Amino acid sequence: MKTGFTLTSLAAASLALLGATAMAQNNTLTINSFGGAYETAHRKCIITPFEKETGATTKIVTAYSADAFAQVRAQKAAPQYDVIHFSGGQEIVAATEGLLSPIDASKVPNLANVYPVAKANIAKGEGPVYSIAAIGLVYNSQALPKAPTSWKDVLDPKLSNKLVLTDISNGYGMLGFLMINRVSGGDLKNIQPGLDAVRKLLAGGAIVVNTSPEIQREFAQNGATIAPYASDYAYTLTKANLPVKFAQGAEGTPASFITANLVANRPNQALALKFIDMSLSESAQTCFANELRYSPTNSKAQLAPDVAATVAYGPAAMKDLFRFDAPTIEANRANWVERWSKTIAR
Amino acid sequence: MNDRTENLLLALPGLVLLVLAYFVPIGQMLVLSLSGASGLTLEHFSRFLADPFYLNILWRTVRLSLVITVICAVLGFPYAYIMARVSPRLRMWMVVAVILPLMTSVVVRTFGWMVLLSRNGLVSQWARDLGWAERNFQLMHSEAAIVIGMVQVLLPFMALSILGVISRIDTRLEEASRTMGASFLGTLRSVVLPLSMPGIVAGSLLVFTLSASSFITPSLMGGARIQVLAGLVYKSVTQTLEWPFAAAQAVILFVGVLLVLIPYVKISTPRHG
Repeated sequence: MKTGFTLTSLAAASLALLGATAMAQNNTLTINSFGGAYETAHRKCIITPFEKETGATTKIVTAYSADAFAQVRAQKAAPQYDVIHFSGGQEIVAATEGLLSPIDASKVPNLANVYPVAKANIAKGEGPVYSIAAIGLVYNSQALPKAPTSWKDVLDPKLSNKLVLTDISNGYGMLGFLMINRVSGGDLKNIQPGLDAVRKLLAGGAIVVNTSPEIQREFAQNGATIAPYASDYAYTLTKANLPVKFAQGAEGTPASFITANLVANRPNQALALKFIDMSLSESAQTCFANELRYSPTNSKAQLAPDVAATVAYGPAAMKDLFRFDAPTIEANRANWVERWSKTIAR
Repeated sequence: MNDRTENLLLALPGLVLLVLAYFVPIGQMLVLSLSGASGLTLEHFSRFLADPFYLNILWRTVRLSLVITVICAVLGFPYAYIMARVSPRLRMWMVVAVILPLMTSVVVRTFGWMVLLSRNGLVSQWARDLGWAERNFQLMHSEAAIVIGMVQVLLPFMALSILGVISRIDTRLEEASRTMGASFLGTLRSVVLPLSMPGIVAGSLLVFTLSASSFITPSLMGGARIQVLAGLVYKSVTQTLEWPFAAAQAVILFVGVLLVLIPYVKISTPRHG
């Protein structure tokens, strides 16, 4: 009798335990974020408010887009992420491979206020864009009293000496180069005009850097005045007390779209959709713009004038944004990087 | 248990580690470097070896490593000799001074150089003030910058290898040479230098292999436009994700270093070692 009782209670306890795990499972969301200042802002603007509102816990894995995509692809049979964030266009491939679930707009109310460009393919499974890094011209406003207005200003021989280019193994560097290529007469099928232009710029004294902190060094210590780069990094430079501003080039503003994607075949998609919805809310997007100067995609997001001046903001600016075809870039990356390396080699 | 098995047992942990941590990955790398879309292939090697761009980078890597090794030896030998002959107290401070750079991270040290050598840095400004250089002159992003940065990092390896050998040289040999009428420099050249060859050889091997395979300092000091082979391998692995090509480059670097080292060891050991 006694043993029977113990066994029963044991069984009951383990059942309860099982139940608790199952509940925790239902109330836990696994996502990726990009580490560093980005993750801090992500937590502050989206994750913490989400946890407060839903009572759920969020497990954050630090994984950049390419790495995160490799993981999601490898886990196809047993996915581990609920919401996956990409910044390099990986959602396009992921959606065609069936790794992502199409999103039902009726379950994500904030989608109604999101610019069309940011939710174009949600029915195919590409998650909505919740923030945008715009690539334009970062310049020293004291050294260049007349703001640059065109990507052709980068090609101005008078500025070559003070120009900083970023290696195209860097994502933003790639987008900046593709714009130089475009205004020099090239396109995604032909990057030779861009490479020729870069060769000329280098002969004129332009500098190539590998990483974003080096851009800061060039502006702070070495008298650089202009660099094709992202709006959020212009803000980083401003915070370092450099007289730096951001301008959009007239030929268009290539953008790095940061998307929140719903991973297929996960049990708690309802909670994941709630998370995606909160990523698109006005408050989250205003917060992101304030913290890191990413452009909001929610048309209702209200930015203070000083913040608005440093990002692509409003319907008109949104129209200038466009995206280079991510699969083409992926397919050609290795080849382009090699040709670029040969062009800049000394 | 006889001596042999005992010895074998003692060596076993080291051997296992060596096999697991060295031979297995190297073997995998060799296999990877030969793997193509349809079975075994030499395309990654021919892509490298048929392209002047890559051959130039290989040549730069070997050339810079040689220059760095020679400078380290030229600076390290007198330093080691003086270290060996001063009082133990002073020697301790000299050892501390030479290994001090090793105690900060490579990146921090390199950033120190970047501050000094950049366009508005102290060294570049002096060169301009003295009228030796043009307005835009900077030492950063040049091969000279790589050599300067690497010599500082690698000098301890050379100086300490030579110190170990020189401190075992009997000082009476030098005294004998002096009493026989040789000058101080003559003694250094014909007595101390030949006897310290094993130390110089060991130090050179270390310095050469380390500088041929390092990529942090060269990529920070040389910038994006001056590449070395190790940096190229890193780029292929992490950025363009061409792992077989990266493996082929690593094999070429390995063979290139070996080709330089084997004759060097052959020439220098039998005579003095």
